[in-house]
Amino acid sequence: MTELMIEADRLTRVFGDVTALDTVTLTAPRGAVLGLLGHNGAGKTTLVNVLTTQVPPSSGTARVAGLDVRQGDQIRALIGLAGQFAAVDGQLSGLDNLITVARLLGAGRRAAYARAAELLDLFGLAGAARRPARTYSGGMRRRLDLAMSLVGHPEVIFLDEPTAGLDPESRLVLWRIVGRLARDGITVLLTTQYIEEADRLADAIVVLSGGRVVASGTPAELKAQVGTSSVRVTPVWPHGPARVLDCLSEAGFRAFAGPGARSVSTPVAEPGLVASVVRALDAAGIGVSELNVTEPTLNDVYLNLIKPEPVR
Amino acid sequence: MLNLCQPVVLLLLFSQVFGAIANPELLPPGTAYVDYLLPALLVTTVMGPATNSGVGLVRDMTGGFLTRLRSMPVDPCWILLARSVSDVARVVAQLIVLVIAGVVLFGFVPAGGPLGMLAALAVAVLVAWTLTWIFLALGSWLRDVEMMQSIGVISVFPLMFASSAFVPVHAFPGWLQVVAMANPMSHAMRATRELALGWSTGHTLPAVATCVGFLALGMFCAVRGFRRPIVG
Repeated sequence: MTELMIEADRLTRVFGDVTALDTVTLTAPRGAVLGLLGHNGAGKTTLVNVLTTQVPPSSGTARVAGLDVRQGDQIRALIGLAGQFAAVDGQLSGLDNLITVARLLGAGRRAAYARAAELLDLFGLAGAARRPARTYSGGMRRRLDLAMSLVGHPEVIFLDEPTAGLDPESRLVLWRIVGRLARDGITVLLTTQYIEEADRLADAIVVLSGGRVVASGTPAELKAQVGTSSVRVTPVWPHGPARVLDCLSEAGFRAFAGPGARSVSTPVAEPGLVASVVRALDAAGIGVSELNVTEPTLNDVYLNLIKPEPVR
Repeated sequence: MLNLCQPVVLLLLFSQVFGAIANPELLPPGTAYVDYLLPALLVTTVMGPATNSGVGLVRDMTGGFLTRLRSMPVDPCWILLARSVSDVARVVAQLIVLVIAGVVLFGFVPAGGPLGMLAALAVAVLVAWTLTWIFLALGSWLRDVEMMQSIGVISVFPLMFASSAFVPVHAFPGWLQVVAMANPMSHAMRATRELALGWSTGHTLPAVATCVGFLALGMFCAVRGFRRPIVG
Protein backbone atom coordinates (compact mmCIF):
# COMPACT_ATOMS: atom_id res chain seq x y z
CA MET A 1 0.00 0.00 0.00
CA THR A 2 1.29 3.44 -0.82
CA GLU A 3 2.16 5.67 2.07
CA LEU A 4 -0.37 8.46 2.64
CA MET A 5 1.32 11.82 3.19
CA ILE A 6 -1.86 13.86 3.63
CA GLU A 7 -4.97 12.47 5.29
CA ALA A 8 -8.00 14.39 6.47
CA ASP A 9 -10.90 12.55 8.05
CA ARG A 10 -14.17 14.43 8.63
CA LEU A 11 -12.12 17.53 9.26
CA THR A 12 -14.18 20.48 10.49
CA ARG A 13 -13.14 23.99 11.41
CA VAL A 14 -15.60 26.54 12.75
CA PHE A 15 -14.90 30.27 13.13
CA GLY A 16 -17.73 31.78 15.19
CA ASP A 17 -20.90 31.08 13.17
CA VAL A 18 -18.99 30.25 10.02
CA THR A 19 -18.19 26.64 9.23
CA ALA A 20 -15.10 27.14 7.09
CA LEU A 21 -14.46 23.41 6.72
CA ASP A 22 -17.30 20.93 6.96
CA THR A 23 -16.39 17.22 7.40
CA VAL A 24 -13.69 17.31 4.75
CA THR A 25 -12.16 13.94 3.95
CA LEU A 26 -9.28 13.58 1.51
CA THR A 27 -5.97 11.78 1.05
CA ALA A 28 -2.81 12.16 -0.98
CA PRO A 29 -0.18 9.42 -1.39
CA ARG A 30 3.55 10.19 -1.40
CA GLY A 31 4.69 12.02 -4.50
CA ALA A 32 1.19 12.96 -5.61
CA VAL A 33 -0.03 16.41 -6.59
CA LEU A 34 -3.41 17.04 -5.01
CA GLY A 35 -5.30 19.95 -6.53
CA LEU A 36 -7.75 21.77 -4.31
CA LEU A 37 -10.18 23.64 -6.50
CA GLY A 38 -12.64 26.22 -5.28
CA HIS A 39 -13.75 29.83 -5.32
CA ASN A 40 -12.78 32.46 -2.80
CA GLY A 41 -14.22 31.51 0.56
CA ALA A 42 -14.59 27.84 -0.35
CA GLY A 43 -12.30 26.85 2.52
CA LYS A 44 -9.08 26.20 0.62
CA THR A 45 -6.87 28.44 2.72
CA THR A 46 -8.44 27.23 5.96
CA LEU A 47 -7.63 23.67 4.96
CA VAL A 48 -4.05 24.67 4.20
CA ASN A 49 -3.87 26.48 7.56
CA VAL A 50 -5.09 23.40 9.42
CA LEU A 51 -2.75 21.04 7.57
CA THR A 52 0.23 23.36 8.15
CA THR A 53 -0.60 23.47 11.89
CA GLN A 54 -1.47 27.19 11.89
CA VAL A 55 -5.05 26.60 12.98
CA PRO A 56 -6.20 23.63 15.06
CA PRO A 57 -9.18 21.63 13.76
CA SER A 58 -12.52 22.01 15.57
CA SER A 59 -13.24 18.33 15.07
CA GLY A 60 -12.13 15.42 12.92
CA THR A 61 -8.52 14.46 12.35
CA ALA A 62 -5.80 15.46 9.95
CA ARG A 63 -2.44 13.81 9.50
CA VAL A 64 0.54 15.03 7.52
CA ALA A 65 3.42 12.64 6.87
CA GLY A 66 1.74 10.28 9.32
CA LEU A 67 1.71 12.82 12.17
CA ASP A 68 -1.37 14.36 13.72
CA VAL A 69 -1.54 18.11 12.98
CA ARG A 70 -1.74 18.77 16.70
CA GLN A 71 1.93 17.67 16.89
CA GLY A 72 2.98 21.06 15.54
CA ASP A 73 6.75 21.17 15.63
CA GLN A 74 7.36 17.68 14.30
CA ILE A 75 5.18 18.38 11.27
CA ARG A 76 6.63 21.84 10.72
CA ALA A 77 10.04 20.24 10.24
CA LEU A 78 8.67 18.17 7.33
CA ILE A 79 6.60 20.67 5.39
CA GLY A 80 6.99 23.77 3.28
CA LEU A 81 4.37 26.45 2.80
CA ALA A 82 4.06 29.01 0.03
CA GLY A 83 1.07 31.07 1.00
CA GLN A 84 -1.19 33.34 -0.98
CA PHE A 85 0.99 36.35 -0.40
CA ALA A 86 4.61 35.98 -1.36
CA ALA A 87 6.20 35.79 2.09
CA VAL A 88 9.52 37.36 1.28
CA ASP A 89 11.28 40.13 3.14
CA GLY A 90 11.47 42.98 0.64
CA GLN A 91 14.41 44.62 2.40
CA LEU A 92 16.59 41.53 2.07
CA SER A 93 18.08 40.23 -1.15
CA GLY A 94 16.86 36.94 -2.58
CA LEU A 95 20.05 35.31 -1.35
CA ASP A 96 19.63 36.68 2.18
CA ASN A 97 15.96 35.65 2.31
CA LEU A 98 16.98 32.07 1.54
CA ILE A 99 19.93 32.13 3.92
CA THR A 100 17.69 33.47 6.71
CA VAL A 101 15.28 30.57 6.29
CA ALA A 102 18.10 28.03 6.11
CA ARG A 103 19.70 29.43 9.26
CA LEU A 104 16.36 29.40 11.07
CA LEU A 105 16.07 25.74 10.15
CA GLY A 106 19.41 25.17 11.86
CA ALA A 107 21.84 25.05 8.94
CA GLY A 108 25.36 26.33 9.47
CA ARG A 109 26.59 29.45 7.67
CA ARG A 110 28.31 27.54 4.88
CA ALA A 111 25.53 24.99 4.37
CA ALA A 112 22.92 27.77 4.33
CA TYR A 113 24.79 29.64 1.63
CA ALA A 114 25.22 26.50 -0.44
CA ARG A 115 21.53 25.61 -0.24
CA ALA A 116 20.52 29.19 -1.07
CA ALA A 117 22.79 29.28 -4.11
CA GLU A 118 21.47 25.91 -5.29
CA LEU A 119 17.85 27.06 -5.06
CA LEU A 120 18.55 30.41 -6.73
CA ASP A 121 20.02 28.47 -9.64
CA LEU A 122 17.13 26.05 -9.77
CA PHE A 123 14.56 28.85 -9.82
CA GLY A 124 16.34 31.03 -12.34
CA LEU A 125 17.03 33.78 -9.81
CA ALA A 126 20.83 33.60 -9.71
CA GLY A 127 21.12 36.83 -11.71
CA ALA A 128 19.01 38.74 -9.17
CA ALA A 129 20.43 37.01 -6.10
CA ARG A 130 21.87 40.13 -4.50
CA ARG A 131 19.11 42.60 -5.37
CA PRO A 132 16.58 43.48 -2.65
CA ALA A 133 13.49 41.34 -3.11
CA ARG A 134 11.27 44.42 -3.26
CA THR A 135 12.73 45.12 -6.72
CA TYR A 136 11.58 41.71 -8.00
CA SER A 137 8.66 41.28 -10.37
CA GLY A 138 5.56 39.43 -9.15
CA GLY A 139 6.69 36.23 -10.84
CA MET A 140 10.17 36.44 -9.35
CA ARG A 141 8.76 37.01 -5.88
CA ARG A 142 6.59 33.91 -6.20
CA ARG A 143 9.54 31.88 -7.35
CA LEU A 144 11.63 33.14 -4.45
CA ASP A 145 8.73 32.39 -2.11
CA LEU A 146 8.51 28.84 -3.42
CA ALA A 147 12.29 28.45 -3.18
CA MET A 148 12.11 29.58 0.48
CA SER A 149 9.54 26.92 1.26
CA LEU A 150 11.86 24.27 -0.21
CA VAL A 151 14.98 25.20 1.75
CA GLY A 152 14.49 22.48 4.37
CA HIS A 153 13.94 19.66 1.85
CA PRO A 154 10.27 19.24 2.87
CA GLU A 155 8.44 16.00 2.20
CA VAL A 156 5.11 17.76 1.74
CA ILE A 157 4.67 21.20 0.27
CA PHE A 158 1.57 23.37 0.39
CA LEU A 159 1.06 25.89 -2.38
CA ASP A 160 -1.83 28.25 -1.75
CA GLU A 161 -2.86 29.79 -5.08
CA PRO A 162 0.74 29.94 -6.31
CA THR A 163 -0.13 31.56 -9.63
CA ALA A 164 -2.87 33.99 -8.61
CA GLY A 165 -2.20 37.32 -10.26
CA LEU A 166 0.72 36.11 -12.38
CA ASP A 167 1.18 36.69 -16.08
CA PRO A 168 0.93 33.61 -18.34
CA GLU A 169 4.68 33.25 -18.75
CA SER A 170 5.42 33.30 -15.01
CA ARG A 171 2.57 30.85 -14.58
CA LEU A 172 4.18 28.42 -17.01
CA VAL A 173 7.49 28.70 -15.18
CA LEU A 174 5.79 27.88 -11.87
CA TRP A 175 3.94 24.98 -13.42
CA ARG A 176 7.23 23.51 -14.64
CA ILE A 177 8.67 23.84 -11.14
CA VAL A 178 5.69 22.11 -9.53
CA GLY A 179 5.95 19.29 -12.04
CA ARG A 180 9.58 18.84 -11.14
CA LEU A 181 8.82 18.74 -7.41
CA ALA A 182 6.38 15.90 -7.95
CA ARG A 183 8.93 13.97 -10.01
CA ASP A 184 11.36 14.35 -7.11
CA GLY A 185 8.87 12.54 -4.89
CA ILE A 186 7.62 15.57 -2.98
CA THR A 187 3.93 15.47 -2.15
CA VAL A 188 2.25 18.67 -3.27
CA LEU A 189 -1.05 20.15 -2.18
CA LEU A 190 -1.98 22.95 -4.51
CA THR A 191 -4.97 25.24 -4.18
CA THR A 192 -6.22 27.08 -7.21
CA GLN A 193 -9.21 28.78 -8.75
CA TYR A 194 -8.14 27.76 -12.23
CA ILE A 195 -9.42 24.48 -13.57
CA GLU A 196 -6.73 24.55 -16.23
CA GLU A 197 -4.06 24.72 -13.57
CA ALA A 198 -5.47 21.80 -11.61
CA ASP A 199 -5.81 19.92 -14.87
CA ARG A 200 -2.19 20.50 -15.86
CA LEU A 201 -0.64 19.72 -12.50
CA ALA A 202 -2.82 17.55 -10.33
CA ASP A 203 -3.03 13.77 -10.15
CA ALA A 204 -6.24 14.14 -8.19
CA ILE A 205 -8.58 17.05 -7.69
CA VAL A 206 -10.85 17.85 -4.78
CA VAL A 207 -13.50 20.49 -5.37
CA LEU A 208 -14.46 22.51 -2.30
CA SER A 209 -17.53 24.67 -2.04
CA GLY A 210 -18.79 26.28 1.14
CA GLY A 211 -16.30 24.22 3.15
CA ARG A 212 -17.54 20.89 1.83
CA VAL A 213 -16.03 18.48 -0.66
CA VAL A 214 -18.46 18.52 -3.56
CA ALA A 215 -16.44 16.34 -5.92
CA SER A 216 -13.17 14.53 -6.11
CA GLY A 217 -11.39 12.43 -8.67
CA THR A 218 -8.78 12.59 -11.37
CA PRO A 219 -8.95 15.56 -13.75
CA ALA A 220 -10.29 13.26 -16.45
CA GLU A 221 -13.08 12.00 -14.20
CA LEU A 222 -14.12 15.51 -13.25
CA LYS A 223 -14.06 16.75 -16.79
CA ALA A 224 -16.13 13.81 -17.95
CA GLN A 225 -18.76 15.05 -15.53
CA VAL A 226 -18.73 18.51 -17.05
CA GLY A 227 -18.15 17.62 -20.70
CA THR A 228 -15.38 18.82 -22.94
CA SER A 229 -16.97 22.13 -23.68
CA SER A 230 -19.87 24.18 -22.56
CA VAL A 231 -22.53 25.93 -24.62
CA ARG A 232 -24.13 29.05 -23.24
CA VAL A 233 -27.42 30.09 -24.75
CA THR A 234 -29.14 33.44 -24.26
CA PRO A 235 -32.68 33.30 -25.69
CA VAL A 236 -34.38 36.17 -27.47
CA TRP A 237 -36.90 37.96 -25.30
CA PRO A 238 -39.68 37.04 -24.37
CA HIS A 239 -38.41 33.45 -24.20
CA GLY A 240 -37.04 32.96 -20.69
CA PRO A 241 -34.26 30.64 -19.59
CA ALA A 242 -36.93 28.28 -18.26
CA ARG A 243 -38.09 27.36 -21.77
CA VAL A 244 -34.52 26.78 -22.86
CA LEU A 245 -33.95 24.53 -19.85
CA ASP A 246 -37.04 22.47 -20.67
CA CYS A 247 -36.16 22.22 -24.31
CA LEU A 248 -32.59 21.11 -23.71
CA SER A 249 -33.58 18.65 -20.98
CA GLU A 250 -36.05 17.05 -23.38
CA ALA A 251 -33.30 16.79 -25.97
CA GLY A 252 -31.20 14.87 -23.44
CA PHE A 253 -28.78 17.60 -22.33
CA ARG A 254 -27.99 18.45 -18.76
CA ALA A 255 -28.71 22.15 -18.64
CA PHE A 256 -28.59 24.67 -15.83
CA ALA A 257 -29.12 28.38 -15.47
CA GLY A 258 -25.87 30.25 -15.96
CA PRO A 259 -24.59 33.30 -14.18
CA GLY A 260 -26.91 36.28 -14.56
CA ALA A 261 -29.92 33.97 -14.99
CA ARG A 262 -30.64 35.34 -18.49
CA SER A 263 -28.68 32.49 -20.03
CA VAL A 264 -28.53 28.72 -19.80
CA SER A 265 -25.37 26.64 -19.89
CA THR A 266 -25.09 23.06 -20.95
CA PRO A 267 -21.98 20.93 -21.00
CA VAL A 268 -21.50 18.86 -24.13
CA ALA A 269 -19.40 15.73 -24.26
CA GLU A 270 -17.93 16.47 -27.70
CA PRO A 271 -17.81 19.55 -29.92
CA GLY A 272 -20.00 17.92 -32.58
CA LEU A 273 -22.95 18.04 -30.21
CA VAL A 274 -23.06 21.85 -30.34
CA ALA A 275 -25.04 21.51 -33.56
CA SER A 276 -27.55 19.26 -31.78
CA VAL A 277 -28.10 21.98 -29.19
CA VAL A 278 -28.83 24.49 -31.92
CA ARG A 279 -31.16 22.05 -33.74
CA ALA A 280 -33.10 21.36 -30.54
CA LEU A 281 -33.59 25.07 -29.89
CA ASP A 282 -34.58 25.71 -33.50
CA ALA A 283 -37.11 22.85 -33.46
CA ALA A 284 -38.70 24.34 -30.34
CA GLY A 285 -38.91 27.74 -32.02
CA ILE A 286 -36.72 29.50 -29.51
CA GLY A 287 -34.83 32.44 -30.90
CA VAL A 288 -31.25 32.75 -29.73
CA SER A 289 -29.61 36.13 -29.35
CA GLU A 290 -26.25 34.84 -28.18
CA LEU A 291 -24.54 31.48 -28.26
CA ASN A 292 -21.06 30.87 -26.85
CA VAL A 293 -19.02 27.72 -26.92
CA THR A 294 -16.42 27.74 -24.14
CA GLU A 295 -14.01 25.49 -22.34
CA PRO A 296 -15.66 24.14 -19.19
CA THR A 297 -14.93 26.65 -16.50
CA LEU A 298 -14.84 26.26 -12.77
CA ASN A 299 -18.27 27.84 -12.85
CA ASP A 300 -19.54 24.98 -15.01
CA VAL A 301 -18.03 22.46 -12.64
CA TYR A 302 -19.81 24.11 -9.75
CA LEU A 303 -23.12 24.67 -11.42
CA ASN A 304 -23.00 21.11 -12.60
CA LEU A 305 -21.91 19.65 -9.28
CA ILE A 306 -24.05 21.70 -6.98
CA LYS A 307 -27.14 21.35 -9.20
CA PRO A 308 -28.84 24.63 -8.44
CA GLU A 309 -32.61 24.93 -8.36
CA PRO A 310 -33.86 25.38 -11.91
CA VAL A 311 -35.05 28.87 -12.77
CA ARG A 312 -38.77 28.77 -13.47
CA MET B 1 19.43 58.32 9.66
CA LEU B 2 16.53 60.74 10.14
CA ASN B 3 15.27 58.60 13.00
CA LEU B 4 18.63 58.95 14.70
CA CYS B 5 18.35 62.75 14.71
CA GLN B 6 14.73 62.88 15.86
CA PRO B 7 15.47 62.98 19.62
CA VAL B 8 18.08 65.67 18.99
CA VAL B 9 15.44 67.82 17.29
CA LEU B 10 13.17 67.32 20.30
CA LEU B 11 16.05 68.23 22.61
CA LEU B 12 16.61 71.43 20.63
CA LEU B 13 12.92 72.37 20.70
CA PHE B 14 12.20 71.48 24.29
CA SER B 15 15.40 72.98 25.70
CA GLN B 16 14.81 76.26 23.85
CA VAL B 17 11.01 76.53 24.18
CA PHE B 18 10.59 75.30 27.73
CA GLY B 19 14.01 76.55 28.75
CA ALA B 20 12.88 80.08 27.88
CA ILE B 21 10.08 79.99 30.44
CA ALA B 22 11.58 77.56 32.93
CA ASN B 23 11.69 79.14 36.35
CA PRO B 24 15.14 78.33 37.75
CA GLU B 25 13.72 78.47 41.26
CA LEU B 26 11.59 75.41 40.52
CA LEU B 27 14.62 73.37 39.49
CA PRO B 28 16.91 71.77 42.05
CA PRO B 29 19.63 74.32 42.99
CA GLY B 30 22.53 74.54 40.57
CA THR B 31 20.78 72.52 37.86
CA ALA B 32 20.68 73.99 34.34
CA TYR B 33 17.46 73.29 32.39
CA VAL B 34 19.26 71.12 29.84
CA ASP B 35 20.67 69.01 32.70
CA TYR B 36 17.16 68.60 34.08
CA LEU B 37 15.68 67.86 30.65
CA LEU B 38 18.09 65.46 28.99
CA PRO B 39 17.93 62.51 31.40
CA ALA B 40 14.13 62.65 31.09
CA LEU B 41 14.36 62.78 27.29
CA LEU B 42 16.22 59.46 27.49
CA VAL B 43 12.93 58.02 28.76
CA THR B 44 10.54 59.92 26.47
CA THR B 45 12.63 58.96 23.43
CA VAL B 46 11.91 55.27 23.89
CA MET B 47 8.11 55.59 24.00
CA GLY B 48 7.37 56.21 20.31
CA PRO B 49 9.55 53.39 18.99
CA ALA B 50 7.94 51.01 21.51
CA THR B 51 4.48 51.74 20.13
CA ASN B 52 5.86 51.25 16.62
CA SER B 53 7.05 47.78 17.62
CA GLY B 54 3.48 46.78 18.36
CA VAL B 55 2.23 48.25 15.09
CA GLY B 56 5.05 46.53 13.19
CA LEU B 57 4.20 43.18 14.73
CA VAL B 58 0.57 43.47 13.64
CA ARG B 59 1.70 44.50 10.14
CA ASP B 60 3.97 41.45 9.97
CA MET B 61 1.10 39.23 11.04
CA THR B 62 -1.04 40.40 8.14
CA GLY B 63 1.82 39.96 5.66
CA GLY B 64 2.96 36.49 4.75
CA PHE B 65 6.37 36.39 6.38
CA LEU B 66 5.14 35.55 9.86
CA THR B 67 2.90 32.85 8.44
CA ARG B 68 5.98 31.35 6.86
CA LEU B 69 7.88 31.47 10.15
CA ARG B 70 4.94 29.88 11.89
CA SER B 71 4.90 27.03 9.38
CA MET B 72 8.54 26.36 10.26
CA PRO B 73 9.85 24.60 13.36
CA VAL B 74 10.63 27.93 15.03
CA ASP B 75 9.25 28.71 18.49
CA PRO B 76 7.14 31.91 18.31
CA CYS B 77 8.94 33.21 21.44
CA TRP B 78 12.06 33.73 19.36
CA ILE B 79 10.18 35.76 16.77
CA LEU B 80 9.02 38.17 19.49
CA LEU B 81 12.40 38.22 21.19
CA ALA B 82 14.18 38.97 17.91
CA ARG B 83 11.75 41.77 17.13
CA SER B 84 12.18 43.35 20.58
CA VAL B 85 15.97 43.13 20.43
CA SER B 86 16.24 44.65 16.95
CA ASP B 87 13.78 47.45 17.78
CA VAL B 88 15.52 48.27 21.04
CA ALA B 89 18.92 48.23 19.32
CA ARG B 90 17.73 51.07 17.11
CA VAL B 91 16.55 53.01 20.16
CA VAL B 92 19.94 52.53 21.80
CA ALA B 93 21.56 54.23 18.80
CA GLN B 94 19.11 57.14 19.15
CA LEU B 95 19.90 57.46 22.86
CA ILE B 96 23.64 57.54 22.26
CA VAL B 97 23.28 60.24 19.59
CA LEU B 98 21.04 62.19 21.96
CA VAL B 99 23.58 62.14 24.79
CA ILE B 100 26.51 63.05 22.55
CA ALA B 101 24.55 65.92 20.96
CA GLY B 102 23.50 67.08 24.44
CA VAL B 103 27.07 67.23 25.68
CA VAL B 104 28.64 68.67 22.52
CA LEU B 105 25.95 71.10 21.34
CA PHE B 106 23.82 71.98 24.34
CA GLY B 107 26.31 72.07 27.21
CA PHE B 108 24.79 69.14 29.06
CA VAL B 109 26.97 68.18 32.02
CA PRO B 110 26.31 64.72 33.42
CA ALA B 111 27.46 65.38 36.96
CA GLY B 112 27.18 61.68 37.76
CA GLY B 113 30.22 61.08 35.55
CA PRO B 114 30.53 58.58 32.70
CA LEU B 115 29.53 55.68 34.92
CA GLY B 116 26.40 57.46 36.13
CA MET B 117 25.54 58.39 32.55
CA LEU B 118 25.96 54.78 31.42
CA ALA B 119 23.77 53.62 34.29
CA ALA B 120 21.09 56.16 33.29
CA LEU B 121 21.29 54.87 29.71
CA ALA B 122 20.92 51.32 31.01
CA VAL B 123 17.72 52.29 32.85
CA ALA B 124 16.38 53.96 29.69
CA VAL B 125 17.13 50.81 27.69
CA LEU B 126 15.34 48.70 30.29
CA VAL B 127 12.32 51.02 30.01
CA ALA B 128 12.52 50.75 26.22
CA TRP B 129 12.54 46.96 26.37
CA THR B 130 9.67 46.88 28.84
CA LEU B 131 7.47 49.26 26.83
CA THR B 132 8.30 47.34 23.65
CA TRP B 133 7.07 44.10 25.22
CA ILE B 134 3.94 45.76 26.53
CA PHE B 135 3.09 46.99 23.04
CA LEU B 136 4.03 43.62 21.51
CA ALA B 137 1.58 42.07 23.99
CA LEU B 138 -1.14 44.54 22.99
CA GLY B 139 -0.43 43.89 19.32
CA SER B 140 -0.45 40.13 19.65
CA TRP B 141 -3.89 40.22 21.28
CA LEU B 142 -5.57 43.08 19.40
CA ARG B 143 -4.12 42.39 15.93
CA ASP B 144 -5.46 45.63 14.54
CA VAL B 145 -3.07 48.21 13.08
CA GLU B 146 -5.40 51.21 13.43
CA MET B 147 -6.27 50.39 17.00
CA MET B 148 -2.57 49.99 17.84
CA GLN B 149 -1.79 53.36 16.30
CA SER B 150 -4.57 55.04 18.30
CA ILE B 151 -3.45 53.40 21.51
CA GLY B 152 0.08 54.55 20.77
CA VAL B 153 -0.91 58.19 20.34
CA ILE B 154 -3.38 58.20 23.23
CA SER B 155 -0.92 56.65 25.66
CA VAL B 156 2.33 58.34 24.64
CA PHE B 157 1.27 61.96 25.10
CA PRO B 158 -0.07 61.68 28.66
CA LEU B 159 2.83 59.42 29.64
CA MET B 160 5.23 61.99 28.25
CA PHE B 161 3.66 65.28 29.40
CA ALA B 162 1.84 64.32 32.60
CA SER B 163 5.22 63.48 34.07
CA SER B 164 8.23 65.22 35.54
CA ALA B 165 9.90 65.28 32.09
CA PHE B 166 9.72 69.03 31.41
CA VAL B 167 8.62 70.65 34.65
CA PRO B 168 9.13 69.47 38.25
CA VAL B 169 5.97 67.80 39.48
CA HIS B 170 5.51 70.22 42.40
CA ALA B 171 4.91 73.06 39.93
CA PHE B 172 1.77 71.31 38.61
CA PRO B 173 -1.80 71.97 39.82
CA GLY B 174 -2.81 69.54 42.57
CA TRP B 175 -4.71 66.99 40.49
CA LEU B 176 -1.97 66.82 37.89
CA GLN B 177 0.60 66.25 40.63
CA VAL B 178 -1.33 63.13 41.59
CA VAL B 179 -1.42 61.94 37.96
CA ALA B 180 2.23 62.71 37.38
CA MET B 181 3.30 60.90 40.54
CA ALA B 182 1.22 57.89 39.49
CA ASN B 183 2.83 57.92 36.05
CA PRO B 184 5.52 55.23 36.04
CA MET B 185 7.49 57.33 33.55
CA SER B 186 8.05 59.99 36.25
CA HIS B 187 9.72 57.36 38.38
CA ALA B 188 11.88 56.15 35.51
CA MET B 189 12.88 59.78 34.84
CA ARG B 190 13.67 60.28 38.49
CA ALA B 191 15.99 57.27 38.27
CA THR B 192 17.78 58.45 35.10
CA ARG B 193 18.22 61.92 36.65
CA GLU B 194 19.62 60.52 39.86
CA LEU B 195 22.13 58.44 37.98
CA ALA B 196 23.13 60.96 35.31
CA LEU B 197 23.27 64.00 37.60
CA GLY B 198 24.87 62.28 40.57
CA TRP B 199 21.96 62.83 42.97
CA SER B 200 21.42 60.43 45.85
CA THR B 201 20.15 57.24 44.25
CA GLY B 202 17.20 56.26 46.45
CA HIS B 203 14.65 55.96 43.63
CA THR B 204 16.59 53.87 41.17
CA LEU B 205 16.12 50.45 42.70
CA PRO B 206 12.31 50.65 43.09
CA ALA B 207 12.01 52.06 39.55
CA VAL B 208 14.10 49.23 38.10
CA ALA B 209 12.20 46.62 40.09
CA THR B 210 8.84 47.98 38.85
CA CYS B 211 10.16 47.97 35.33
CA VAL B 212 11.27 44.35 35.57
CA GLY B 213 7.83 43.45 36.91
CA PHE B 214 6.08 45.10 33.95
CA LEU B 215 8.61 43.47 31.61
CA ALA B 216 7.79 40.01 32.93
CA LEU B 217 4.06 40.70 32.61
CA GLY B 218 4.50 42.06 29.08
CA MET B 219 6.56 39.05 27.97
CA PHE B 220 4.08 36.60 29.45
CA CYS B 221 1.07 38.25 27.80
CA ALA B 222 2.86 38.75 24.47
CA VAL B 223 3.90 35.11 24.18
CA ARG B 224 0.44 33.89 25.22
CA GLY B 225 -1.25 36.18 22.70
CA PHE B 226 1.18 35.42 19.91
CA ARG B 227 0.75 31.66 20.20
CA ARG B 228 -2.92 31.95 19.29
CA PRO B 229 -3.53 30.99 15.66
CA ILE B 230 -3.48 33.66 13.00
CA VAL B 231 -6.97 33.60 11.56
CA GLY B 232 -7.71 35.37 8.34
